[in-house]
Amino acid sequence: MVFMKQGIFFLLLFILTASMVQAQNKLTINGYVKDASNGEALIGATVYVKEINNGVITNVYGFYSITLDPGDYTVNYSYIGYKTISQNVSLVKNQEINMDLPIESEQLDEVVVTAEREQANVENMEMSTNKLDIRTILKVPAFLGESDVFRSILLLPGVSTVGEGASGFNVRGGSVGQNLVLLDEAPVYNSSHLFGFFSVFNPDAVKDTKLYKGAIPSRYGGRLASLLDVRMKEGNSKKFEANGGIGSLFSRLAIEAPIIKDKSSFIVAARRSYIDILARPFVPLLKDGGALNFYDLTLKSNYTFNRKNKLYASGYFGRDVFLFDANQGFSWGNTTGTLRWNHLFNERLFSNLTLVYSNYDYKLQFGDDDRDSFKWNSSISNFILKPQFTYFINSNNELDFGGEAIYYTFEPANAVGISNGNVIDVSLNKKYNLETALYVGNRQTINNVLSVEYGLRFSHFQSFGPGKSYQYNDTIPGLRRAPTGFEEFKKGETIADYNNWEPRASFRIQSSPTSSIKGSYNRMAQYLHLISNTTASNPLDVWAPSSRMIKPEIGQQFTLGYFKDLGADRVYEISVEGYYRATENQIDYIDGADLLINEFLEGELLDGVGRAYGIETYFQKKKGRFSGWLSYTLGRTELKVSGINRGNWYPARYDQLHNLKIAAFYDINERWSVSSDFVFVSGTPTTFPTSRFVLQDILIPYNSNGSRSNVRLPSYNRLDVSFRLEGKKVRRGKDRKNTDYWVFSLYNVYGRKNPFSIYFSQRDERTPQGTPINSQAVQLSIIGTVVPSVSYNFRF
Amino acid sequence: MQKQFYTFFVTFFFTITASLLFTSCEDEISPELEKADPILVIDAWLTDQPGDQVIHITETQPYFDNTLPPGVSGATVSVEDNLGNIFLFQEDATIKGDYVWTPLPGEVFAEGGGTYTLKVEYNGESFVAGSRMGRVPVIDSLTFTFKEKNSFLPDLYLADFWATDLPGPNDTYRIKAWKNGVLLNKPNELNLAYDAGFSAGGNFDGGTFITPIRQAINPFEEGDKNEILSPYVPGDSIYVEIHSISLEAFNFLSEVAIQTNRPGGFSELFATPLSNVSTNISNKDPNGKPIIGFFNVAAVSALGKRFEQ
Repeated sequence: MVFMKQGIFFLLLFILTASMVQAQNKLTINGYVKDASNGEALIGATVYVKEINNGVITNVYGFYSITLDPGDYTVNYSYIGYKTISQNVSLVKNQEINMDLPIESEQLDEVVVTAEREQANVENMEMSTNKLDIRTILKVPAFLGESDVFRSILLLPGVSTVGEGASGFNVRGGSVGQNLVLLDEAPVYNSSHLFGFFSVFNPDAVKDTKLYKGAIPSRYGGRLASLLDVRMKEGNSKKFEANGGIGSLFSRLAIEAPIIKDKSSFIVAARRSYIDILARPFVPLLKDGGALNFYDLTLKSNYTFNRKNKLYASGYFGRDVFLFDANQGFSWGNTTGTLRWNHLFNERLFSNLTLVYSNYDYKLQFGDDDRDSFKWNSSISNFILKPQFTYFINSNNELDFGGEAIYYTFEPANAVGISNGNVIDVSLNKKYNLETALYVGNRQTINNVLSVEYGLRFSHFQSFGPGKSYQYNDTIPGLRRAPTGFEEFKKGETIADYNNWEPRASFRIQSSPTSSIKGSYNRMAQYLHLISNTTASNPLDVWAPSSRMIKPEIGQQFTLGYFKDLGADRVYEISVEGYYRATENQIDYIDGADLLINEFLEGELLDGVGRAYGIETYFQKKKGRFSGWLSYTLGRTELKVSGINRGNWYPARYDQLHNLKIAAFYDINERWSVSSDFVFVSGTPTTFPTSRFVLQDILIPYNSNGSRSNVRLPSYNRLDVSFRLEGKKVRRGKDRKNTDYWVFSLYNVYGRKNPFSIYFSQRDERTPQGTPINSQAVQLSIIGTVVPSVSYNFRF
Repeated sequence: MQKQFYTFFVTFFFTITASLLFTSCEDEISPELEKADPILVIDAWLTDQPGDQVIHITETQPYFDNTLPPGVSGATVSVEDNLGNIFLFQEDATIKGDYVWTPLPGEVFAEGGGTYTLKVEYNGESFVAGSRMGRVPVIDSLTFTFKEKNSFLPDLYLADFWATDLPGPNDTYRIKAWKNGVLLNKPNELNLAYDAGFSAGGNFDGGTFITPIRQAINPFEEGDKNEILSPYVPGDSIYVEIHSISLEAFNFLSEVAIQTNRPGGFSELFATPLSNVSTNISNKDPNGKPIIGFFNVAAVSALGKRFEQ
């Protein structure tokens, strides 16, 4: 352990000294790039120095730093959708340049020819990432009138879902639990409202989302498949602003304003669904303590002490509530809080210290009298401390280093049942864990053609007492293992610990001014496991930490891609990326596994290996009256688990061979615009029986080959359209201060009954003993009709 | 089992919410299924109750073949207990595939517990299984309680059976109920208990069977206008049996419940993949023909009552 930490330290030292040598007599330009209209930091804006034909991009706080020889330079600041500003700099001493970029005026026949082209994906070091800013998210046709982060993410290459109503999303053949979803750096353990129909992110409070599907930098870790980094707005630091909307499902309101102009601002955003209010007259149960709703509240504030110190505080609280009456029901939700301190040690050393609290819990209770009831809570909570440093060594090297410590408390079940007046506590012990990591990574431009990024992350996971560790018997793979004994641990004693080196590397070869080739390698370790054996992930799923029996999941991914810009103004972008990921210690479940409130959960689990591979193609038109993208993924995801499918490879539940998505946006005239998306995906695998038999008067399906995933559901396709009508800009001859717009949308335009599942059962009818039992196969569509909706949105 | 109960509860709420927003839809389909050869099926659930004991030997059928499973004749069937007593089962003359042991006057099968071995010889192959008879608590009483209507249910009478799990952990039971002489045998009426609760981790040893188990003897059926009918009305009779089952049988029936209780709709979000239930009868020759079947010998306690107001 000590040795390993030293390893990281020496690597760091090596990179530092190696680059220090060249860093003599250099000067630095640094500062923040912001949106001129509201003071929001721009993430990923390009700062390009013409003379050296190189540049940097702003970090998640809008900060940049570039170190150059003394001299005269032309520096271009650009960001998609904003005007590019060119600044001449005579560099004789270190300089701070904060740049406010104005939004490109939204003219209809616009194709704004910027003075200098924007840095495109082609020149960016990153691959396997997709960035969606909130303006794109708001354009994607909404379901039930509500724009949603996930709905947009699902249109990206390599991202899929098992169907409507399923929580979360799948990335490149990873399970839902293999995505790390961060809201302002706080992990969100269940990112869905109303099962899987909406994400927990309020679009009014979201600034930017970025999905990393591969080539994940060494500063991130903890999940195998992807990282979704959601950044909240900081709040308008120039003037008061309110955004809101009334839709067919929920209403929302966000207020943002400066506290001290240009120094401090806040945003408060809230949403609440009103299904229950609408339904109250029709559903008598809601009158008497019942509730059916979900709501969330997002808060953020920031304070700039001086040019070297900035503080951000953000929080989220959201809940889904289903109450049958005052005493019976079910609810779940996330709570997160993040405190961040940006500190500039000097012109080139940027640091951020993050403190996070995050919690996910659900509560279930039923029983309508004191003598017979059942109450059950389950939660996962954690505290995170994360110091991060970026050292902008010179224009060719950007060094990231830092660490992370996460303290987890798992409460799988705090449950009390009362049967006929007897109180029975069926709670399970809490589990305590610490995950720590150290990382270092360097982004290096070697010459005009080649750039590389390399890094190393060392992660450590420890589970400690008080607690028990059970031993289990060996049995035929696929059957339940019974506990044979246990070892008890005192408070603070180590029960299990694991170490992992996680090397990360990527390269970019600029094969021509408009094209590049990129490749990467990642090794990732995952210490938390989402325990779920149902068709779709759902809010009752429990997270389990690694233990003696449950080994950390390990994934290695290789990617290789080709990126090309097309068109006079490089408005078209095309990319082709291939990926291959091999995983170890993938969790699967015995048949008939009992995963809830089970002390012997480990006996229900199986482990195996996985592989996922595919090709993602992406074609985008970035600007103009007509814009949008087309994405097509050809992929496979398979698992091999002893005890399932006779030990052979089988497709995972979320395996989809073809995955085609088209998103198109068109401005009809000044007031009307139309957006549309089309999705076509291959059917997901499912298991059909071959035969039936009768035992104890029950008809039981049987697959005589013992196979899993032996058939595919019919394919899924869907078209959505939405129209947006801007409110009049002028009223009674005067310019309106407020802006507003209507959104009319149709989800599943042609009302296709897309199959979610096909199940086999005996008919629901009384069959007297000794008479034949009728069987049936039923195809279920979660949404079998067109779903229209309308929403009204305003801003003032 | 336990899980099914919770997810039922959750899906129940979800379904209401979802149905306010949009409608799911279900269509019966007839997909083509892979062909498969028939496999021998042995249904051997015996009890310590007086009277005939019957073992059914049938074959699997294509999934959509809605006829009675074909009986298999020509097998030799016997059960031996740990004292060396051998009970021979004779092929029934009328029902093909039924093998019956008929007691002599005063004789009772499986009196006093112990372990039992099933042997079936068929077509030159022999199949075996073992079972230990468990213990069973008495049913103290049966009650009918009036429940006033609420948002979902009309006025109705619910039946409870009252019994207390025997002290000492790891007793597993199956509760069977008959309404007016008809066995409640729908997949969602399968009623299992691990001690007085749902599962091993439940810590319900020695208590009164918990409410959802006590009340799982109520059949919920719909009337002509899709209205929910009261499970019992005055004049109805109820008869309840508790069967002691082995842990393997408990696991088996739990799997059966998962595989067969598919109410559809939004509950499909919570469904697990179709898989074969694990049975306990095996072919002596590991390379021989596959066999499906379950052997359990149960101690039974029973109580009946007519609902009179």
